[in-house]
Amino acid sequence: MPQPTAMKRSQFLHSLLVLPTALLLPGCNKSETGAGAAGAGKKLTIAFMPKSKGNSYFINCEKGAREAVQELGVDLLFDGPTNTDPAKQNEIVENWITLGVDVMAVACENKEGISGALKKAQEKGIKVVTFDSDTTPDARSFFVSQATAQGIGEGLMDEAARLCGEEGEFAIITATLTAANMNEWRKHIEARLAEKYPKMKLVDTKPCDDQKDKAQQETTNLLGANPNLKCIMAICSPAVPGAAEAVKQAGKAGAVKVLGLGLPSENRAYLKDGITQSVILWKVADLGYLALHAAHALGSGALKAGDTSFKAGRLGELQVDSNGAIILGKPFVFNKENVDQFDF
Amino acid sequence: MNRYFRELSVAGALVLLLALLGVVAPQFFELQPLLSRLTAQVPTLVLTIGIAMVMITRQIDISVGSQFGLCAVLAGNLLAGGLSLPLALPLAATAGAAMGALNGCLVAWLGLPSIVVTLATMVTWAEVLRLTQQGRFINLPAGVQWLGLSQPAGQTALLAASLGLLAAMAWLLKNRSGGRHLYAVGSDAEAARLSGINPKGTTFWVFVCMGALAGVAAVCNLVQSPQVDPKCGTGLELKAIAAAVVGGIAVNGGRGSLWGAFVGLLLLATINPALTFLHVEAYWEKAIQGLVILLAVVADGIRSRRNAS
Repeated sequence: MPQPTAMKRSQFLHSLLVLPTALLLPGCNKSETGAGAAGAGKKLTIAFMPKSKGNSYFINCEKGAREAVQELGVDLLFDGPTNTDPAKQNEIVENWITLGVDVMAVACENKEGISGALKKAQEKGIKVVTFDSDTTPDARSFFVSQATAQGIGEGLMDEAARLCGEEGEFAIITATLTAANMNEWRKHIEARLAEKYPKMKLVDTKPCDDQKDKAQQETTNLLGANPNLKCIMAICSPAVPGAAEAVKQAGKAGAVKVLGLGLPSENRAYLKDGITQSVILWKVADLGYLALHAAHALGSGALKAGDTSFKAGRLGELQVDSNGAIILGKPFVFNKENVDQFDF
Repeated sequence: MNRYFRELSVAGALVLLLALLGVVAPQFFELQPLLSRLTAQVPTLVLTIGIAMVMITRQIDISVGSQFGLCAVLAGNLLAGGLSLPLALPLAATAGAAMGALNGCLVAWLGLPSIVVTLATMVTWAEVLRLTQQGRFINLPAGVQWLGLSQPAGQTALLAASLGLLAAMAWLLKNRSGGRHLYAVGSDAEAARLSGINPKGTTFWVFVCMGALAGVAAVCNLVQSPQVDPKCGTGLELKAIAAAVVGGIAVNGGRGSLWGAFVGLLLLATINPALTFLHVEAYWEKAIQGLVILLAVVADGIRSRRNAS
């Protein structure tokens, strides 16, 4: 039952995705109409809120959402705090209640903090879905989830095994030994290792305090202390370039593989130089696309409480679990060949 | 002998640890990884020089990690925007000195406790950094890493420069009147004032110097990698303070040497890789480092009680 909670996910995102203040997109806050099904009955108004508007992760999310708007022909209201700010999120929800939108899709900064406002919206007949990070289950109908802890853990382990030919020693760099979400992933990594890869061996797990430089130092030590090491698995985002830099400086590029959970933009150079082989993350735009499809289906009545699956446009049929979580699917592997197609 | 007992006992512990590694894990002494490990400590060494001076003056500065981060991000962004590398050092040092001057003014002339002042500036600079940079890494242009030299040459240059800085500052502290003033003010500010030293001015300049060193340390870190992590300064203040304390810089001022702080840093910086090479679980790292610091503080306590009686 690997059900990642919103707290874990928000911690993860906090560490992973505190990202650049890119240019705010023009047209925020304005109602926009999709080209699609004009005239087909009453048009739904869907309000869509990221954790923060100036964050390239959520800007990519928004791209996917706008793609779905075009397909579905709904009115989109897009707004969110400039920087992550739970109080501002509540304020925006209150505004949307006053405006009387049909559905809200919200990435929640604070699980409990926003639940009151979302419940109020539900009492007024507004449907609520959350995406990326959940609120309490009674404050929304569905949660659009990027990946499960099991999906992340198994994805990392399978990719490491593939890179090593299912044989040899590897080590893990994590953020801290107490980070709940990463410990959950490690549990699934180790379970997968025990179940499927008897010839692989996890020799050590080191914390990097969520810092690139510390990850680099730990990797330098691991490489020296374990001469047979074949792979470094970095499961927090700053550790991926940190581990890669250490492998490069030790002159072991290619001989020791590097993979991890991180952002394509921070690892592009190392991927292209063949130092890092794989970076794993979900396709962020797909998350926004799915969130908007779920919101539309909920608003139009196509998706109801208790449904176990749901068809989301080009993503096809997706499962809905008993907690109302719609899972985007397995994480995506970025590598040398495809990294240039992504800009987050 | 007795005078340097503390420094010598720390050096003894370091030698024991290295001897253990030599027997159990001789690969610890492979040249290139050893050079990388040492170079990685250069930024902390530069900070430790500054923090030792601050502590000798009977002050503390816990904002140096934030100063370091801000200087690194400022210099990184300017380098990415085309600033030439030789200008990065004076620029970062100036930015650091300005932040140090703010601390220095508040502590020296308003008489506020340095722990509170620097706690406030630590949080303030960390938030400024978070809001402006939003956690984004900075990609540096080619030619910044290792100052455009080869990796071993760049590492050797950084090590040599930082050891040169250490030797120069240690000499200044011991042999020049400005340096002796730090000890005088740290031992007894009133007595120092009566003997013609300006304790407020001394305190101010120590904080300015600390800030400038934080800027220098940031550049020493920045040239070791093709990217700047805006979180690079987080926690560095504690590493530097711990090194100084373990190396025999008295927490209540007036005593200690930069060479001692250097040995303290070497000991603390060896514990972490040693655990990896001895295959001890990472859970022990912080506990062991804490124990070493505790031992140092207890030794200080015993010493000052004995001196008092």
